[in-house]
Amino acid sequence: MKTGFTKLAILTTLFVSSLVFAGDYPSEPITVIVPSKAGGSTDRTARMLTEIAEKHNKGYEFVIKNIPGSGGQKGFEAINRAKPDGYTIGLVFTPQLVAHIASKRAKYNLDSFRILGNVAQDPAIVVVPKDSKIKNLGDLAKTAKENTLTVAVNGIGSDDFLAAKAFESKAGVTFNLLPTKGSTEQKAGILGGHVDAAFMNLSQMIAQHKAGDAHIIALLAKERSDKLPDMPTSKEQGYEVYMTATRGLVAPAKVDAATLDKLEAMFAKVMADDEFKAKATKGNIQLLPMTGKEYGEYLKGLQADTQAVYDKAPW
Amino acid sequence: MTKKYIDLAVLLFFVVMAVLLYNSTASYTGIAKTTSAYYVKFLAVFIGGLSVIQLAINLFRDKNNYRLHLSQHYPRFLGLLIMLIIFALVFEHLGFFVSAAVFIPVVALILGYKNYLTIIITTVSVLAFVYLIFIKLLSVNLPGFNF
Amino acid sequence: MMEYISIVFQPISLFTILLGTVAGVAIGGMPGLTATMAVGLLVPFTYTMDPTMGLMLLGGIYCGAMYGGSIPAILLNTPGTPAAVATAIEGFPMSQKGKAGLALKVSVVASFVGGSFSVLVLLLFAPLLAQQALKFGPAETFLLALMGLAGIISIADENSSLIKALIAGLLGMIIAVVGTDDMSGSLRYTMGYIELIDGIDFMPALIGLFSMIQMLELAGMRKKHEIDMSALHKKQKSEPMPKGITKHIALGSGTGTVIGVLPGEGATIAAFISYNISKRISRTKELFGKGNPEGIAAAESGNNGCVGGSLVPTLTLGIPGNSVAAALMGAFIIHGMIPGPDLFNEYADRTYPFIISLFIANLVFLGVGLTVAPYLAKIALIPPAILVPVVSAFAVLGSYALNNSVFDIYLMIAFAIFGLLLKKLNFSLEALILGLILGPIAEGGFTQGMIIGKGSPWIFFESPIAKIMWVIILLLLIPPLYSYFKHTSLLKTPDAET
Repeated sequence: MKTGFTKLAILTTLFVSSLVFAGDYPSEPITVIVPSKAGGSTDRTARMLTEIAEKHNKGYEFVIKNIPGSGGQKGFEAINRAKPDGYTIGLVFTPQLVAHIASKRAKYNLDSFRILGNVAQDPAIVVVPKDSKIKNLGDLAKTAKENTLTVAVNGIGSDDFLAAKAFESKAGVTFNLLPTKGSTEQKAGILGGHVDAAFMNLSQMIAQHKAGDAHIIALLAKERSDKLPDMPTSKEQGYEVYMTATRGLVAPAKVDAATLDKLEAMFAKVMADDEFKAKATKGNIQLLPMTGKEYGEYLKGLQADTQAVYDKAPW
Repeated sequence: MTKKYIDLAVLLFFVVMAVLLYNSTASYTGIAKTTSAYYVKFLAVFIGGLSVIQLAINLFRDKNNYRLHLSQHYPRFLGLLIMLIIFALVFEHLGFFVSAAVFIPVVALILGYKNYLTIIITTVSVLAFVYLIFIKLLSVNLPGFNF
Repeated sequence: MMEYISIVFQPISLFTILLGTVAGVAIGGMPGLTATMAVGLLVPFTYTMDPTMGLMLLGGIYCGAMYGGSIPAILLNTPGTPAAVATAIEGFPMSQKGKAGLALKVSVVASFVGGSFSVLVLLLFAPLLAQQALKFGPAETFLLALMGLAGIISIADENSSLIKALIAGLLGMIIAVVGTDDMSGSLRYTMGYIELIDGIDFMPALIGLFSMIQMLELAGMRKKHEIDMSALHKKQKSEPMPKGITKHIALGSGTGTVIGVLPGEGATIAAFISYNISKRISRTKELFGKGNPEGIAAAESGNNGCVGGSLVPTLTLGIPGNSVAAALMGAFIIHGMIPGPDLFNEYADRTYPFIISLFIANLVFLGVGLTVAPYLAKIALIPPAILVPVVSAFAVLGSYALNNSVFDIYLMIAFAIFGLLLKKLNFSLEALILGLILGPIAEGGFTQGMIIGKGSPWIFFESPIAKIMWVIILLLLIPPLYSYFKHTSLLKTPDAET
């Protein structure tokens, strides 16, 4: 299938990219691969970020390319395969990025990417139906020991699933896990009382919690969130279970380092921009700025944790 | 090949597929063993069973011996099919606009259309329409040459 | 309420709605372009717009696209959306008899009534209905999918043998099994293709099985035209709506709205269930499958009824009723309007104008449909040698654009080739696509139901809703099966002639 054309394309690319110097960068629009659907929260993050970046940095122009599907794997691989000329970068999300490595499905690993930094996060939560007797993580563990609790997660290998597995091992319980096709089904399960609890992300349930249609019982983080300051964390409740879905920028590893340094610095500036912060707050996106180095460390740690869960119970 | 035998071959294929599908559920793991596996087994049993019944009906009742024709005019039919496959092959490399600019007139000629002016107008208006809707309105990234 | 109405009647709002709806009709009408895709892609675009205007634009697209799918279904037998497959079953035979104008008229009127009724329900009863919809769990979702699948039997007794239609439906469900097993996360039958991890998308299948096969058949036709053109050349007299059609439109509107409120891809299910019921209660049953406007009326009012219905849980609970509503929800969130009670209090000045704008959108496509239909009917006069390459190019583009994937183009071509073979052998492709679309819903409902029921299938019979649904399923199945066995002995091949 891929014959002469590809070879020709590679040759041309090599020739063209050898002519590009960091000084002229960028001389053409930069493609940002978003490994999810247009209109989703990752997509919205990317569009807000690039909009502000274009506004404040002359010469930068971005094109969003959505490559949805297979839990982001298609998109992650597309970033890895992209021409290393600095004109294709991507917005990746965890834990799917490392989960695909752990389950040995990915054709990439963390070294395939130069990590440019993290942009946003969506911390994991535990949520129960509004009339549930479970009020905190202690209740959840206790009730789970007495009865079989049906707990909804968003698919096997997702952040919810990993969080639920981590809680199971810390609390010494076993849930009747219900894998769903997405947060919509989880919401319907909680609001309709079809399940006993669900592991989800904060942004997905915060409105229902505030409206009293469902109860969030814990934030699975070390620190409280300013979106919901009254909500006790898992740490406060004595369960060391932490999970968050991060969204960060990466580029193919082979790209010229000077070009990427420039790009990383530029995005760091955008992240600190007040207008960007205001837009993110309004768009229900919780920012979590991390430098490339910090985010790289975080991803390595996460990969090790995920690997441990996978090795115990592969999916 | 007559229609009767092709029909039998297709049904036989379904029976084989049903058996393979049923057996494949043995490899399901974890909770899937008592959930998805039941569903898939159910599908396999039904399609297998129905195919066997239909197979029996055909064997005993189908006396038709006419040939099966996928098309009345094979040169045009195959011409379109081959052009389609070529279109798909070059799509990623040449992009939509270049490939369609060749595809539309060539297929029109294969189908025996002679009015060149209409062909050119049609091709240009399709490309313009796609450009407006996809590139300008929806900003979809089409591969290859972009404007 | 008056102030909200006045927002909608500003010239700029009216223009936005007009633009959105007309674009929606065009998008729904093209094979491969879907409302989900258009709304999803335009959400970021509305982000720089005034929120109310942005929502009106997207709402117009949603309403327009749901109707637009019926136009090519009637004229060319190439349904633009899966929800229009039932429309094609009746609409295309009407076109072949030169009655395309009437078919288009019935379709637009039914779409308008169904759409407006559902929006009215959304406006008046949203919170109440949403609470009821929550009682609908995975077990009931499974039964809803079964209700939709019962439609296979109504397709069967006219077009092909019952057994072959059932086999085709099951084949569709089996094709839908390919991909990730949601229960274990492991990959089933993907043969190492990363493109198959998410399973086989029904859009390339729909495009291949209907649009492309139709084009291949047109290309290979010996005679130039088989369509009766006489009625089209004459100046179209405005034919009156067929008598007794009101009943079927009312039926479809109600069914569509109710099913739209429930979770799952409602529009296709609603269209098929309405079509199926309409066939049962029709006085002219024997005309079904041969071009009965009653079938179009039921199917179109059914799928447009889903528009308002699907927004009920979306706006009140943040649980989108289908994929278009999910994309639309993104547009609310991007403007900081998180679905829930807030939408009806804090953001009432945006939400109510949005809902009211949907009425206008319905009026717009009614106007467009009624004025343009007579001209559209002339599409049938375009020489196949020009029509075929153009539609084929759109089929390729549409298959690709859905997931930016060339694999989907190959998939589309494969569906066209094997689909054509199956069609020639009298397997029903409508049943195949119905199985392909409803298979994942049935599987999801069944597997999740089994988990919630802790392994006991009793859960599928437990709730009162489930019991009522079983009664409906049996009512949909038994009469046609009875008459089938009465009229055609099982051992007599019904497919005497192709």
